[in-house]
Amino acid sequence: MSRDILVDQVGMVFQGRGEPVIALEKVDMHVQAGSFASIIGPSGCGKSTLLRLIAGLMKPFAGSVTLGGESPSAARRDRGLGFVFQSPTLMPWRTVRENVELPQDIMGRKDRRAESERAAALIELVGLKGFENALPHELSGGMQQRAAIARALVLKPDVLLLDEPFGALDEITRQRMNLELLRIWAESGTSALLVTHSIAEAVFMSDKVYVMSARPGRITSVIDVDLPRPRKLDDMRTPAFFDCVNRVRDGLFGRESPVDHTVPQQIEA
Amino acid sequence: MPLATIIALVGLAEALKSGGVLPMYVPAPSQLVTAVAQTPSLLTENLGPTVRRASAGYAIAAFCTIVAASLAVTVQRLYGFVYNFSVTMHSVPIIATAPLLALWIGTGEPLQITIAALACQFPMVVGAIQGLQAADARQRELMEILSATKLQTLRYLLLPSALPYMIAGFKIAAPTAVLGAITGEWAGADRGIGAMMLYALSSFNTPALWLAILITGFLAAIGYGFWALVESVVTVSSNNVELAE
Repeated sequence: MSRDILVDQVGMVFQGRGEPVIALEKVDMHVQAGSFASIIGPSGCGKSTLLRLIAGLMKPFAGSVTLGGESPSAARRDRGLGFVFQSPTLMPWRTVRENVELPQDIMGRKDRRAESERAAALIELVGLKGFENALPHELSGGMQQRAAIARALVLKPDVLLLDEPFGALDEITRQRMNLELLRIWAESGTSALLVTHSIAEAVFMSDKVYVMSARPGRITSVIDVDLPRPRKLDDMRTPAFFDCVNRVRDGLFGRESPVDHTVPQQIEA
Repeated sequence: MPLATIIALVGLAEALKSGGVLPMYVPAPSQLVTAVAQTPSLLTENLGPTVRRASAGYAIAAFCTIVAASLAVTVQRLYGFVYNFSVTMHSVPIIATAPLLALWIGTGEPLQITIAALACQFPMVVGAIQGLQAADARQRELMEILSATKLQTLRYLLLPSALPYMIAGFKIAAPTAVLGAITGEWAGADRGIGAMMLYALSSFNTPALWLAILITGFLAAIGYGFWALVESVVTVSSNNVELAE
C-alpha cells in the first residue's frame, strides 16, 4: 500500500525579527503513489521546510498538504509516514535492534513475534545483520544511517521522506547506499521523496525531479526521468541519463538559449 | 596512594600531639579511637538515625525532583514555578528554616528528613531540568513523527538523555543531604550525629566532637562516591557518542 503526496499551492512565511521571510511560494507537487521523486535546489531554497511541511512537523501558511487524501498528522497516526534525517538521529543508549524497534514500541505492539521478525528482516535488508546488539557509537556513519532507514521502514510506511540522508557520507559509500535504498524502496513499494543537493543522485533515484529556486522558494521546473528500473550504476553512462541531468542543470542554472527537450518527431515530408 | 597519604597524615598528627605541638582541643587520632572504645554507644546510637534520615530525605528529594522536573519540561506553564521554588528554597539558609519547620511539624524524625530533602534538592532539580532539555531537535521531531504522547516522549527520549545530567546532580546532592540531616538534628533530636555534636560541645568532649566531624565527612564521601561509581559505569557505555555525523 502507498499514498499519493499532494502539495497544493503551499506557501510558508517565517516571521523573523525584521521583515517576514517568504520561505515557500505557491508550491505544487504531485508524487504518484509508489513512485520515487526528488527535490533539488540551492541551500536555503526551502526544500527541508517543504519536507517538514509534508511530514506535518509544521503547518503551512497557505495551501494544503495531503498524503493519500489525509492530513500529514492523520497519516502519521496511521503509521503512514517514515522520515530519515540528515543525521542518523539514533538513540545512543539503544542497540541497533532497539532503535529499529522504537517505532513499534511507541505505536504499540499487537503481535510481538511478527514485529521482531519484521525488524530483524529489515536489519538484514539494510546489511546490518550481526550488528543487532551494537550501540550506535560502535558503527560507522553509513551503518548508522542504514539503521535509521530500517527504523523509518519498520512500520511499513506508505510515504518515505528522506532529508539528504547521505549528505554526510563520502561519494563511494553514497553510491552504494543509493543503490541499496532503491532496492529497499522497490521491495517496500512506498512512495518516496528525497531532498538532495546532487543532480546525479536526483536523476539516478527518481521518476520525477522537482527543481527549486531560492528567495522565495518555489518550484521552477519538473523533470520526468523515464529511465528503466531497476537502475544500475551503468545507467549513469547512458545518453538518456545525461539528457535528464542536463535538463535538471538547466532548471537550476537557466540557459541562455532555450533548447527544445521534446523527443524529435518524424519530420513530415 | 590516597591510603598512604591518610596514614602519613594520621601518623603526623599523632607525632605532633605527643610532641606537645598541638593544643589541647585538637585530640590525637588515637584519642578518637579510645573515645569510641570507651563509649561504643557514641557510634551505635547516633550513626544509624543520621544515615536513615539523610537517606530518606535524599530519596524523597530525588523522587520529587524527577516528578517535578518532568512536569516542568512537559507543561510549559509549570517550568517557572518549579525552577523558582527550587531556587528560593535553596537561597534561604537551612539554619533559618530549621526552627520554623520545627514549629510547624515538631522536632521528630519528619523534621530531619524534611530538612535533609530541602538541603539537597537544588543540584538535583538543576541537573534534572537541564538534562530533560538535552535531547536535540531532530530526536524530538522523530518522536513527533512517531506520534509519541508526552509520556512516551519522556520515557523513550527525555529521561534517558537526561541520565548523565541527573547523575551529576544526584552526586553533588548526596553530601548536602547528610549536612541537612545533621542541621535538622540540631533543631531538636535525641540521637544522631548532629545531637552527638551538641552534647559533645556542651560537655567539652573534644574527641567526640572530632569524631562527629570525621563521620559526617565520611558519610558525605560515601554518598558522593556511590554516584561517582554509577556515573563511571553509565558513561562508559555512552562514551564517544556522536549524535550528528
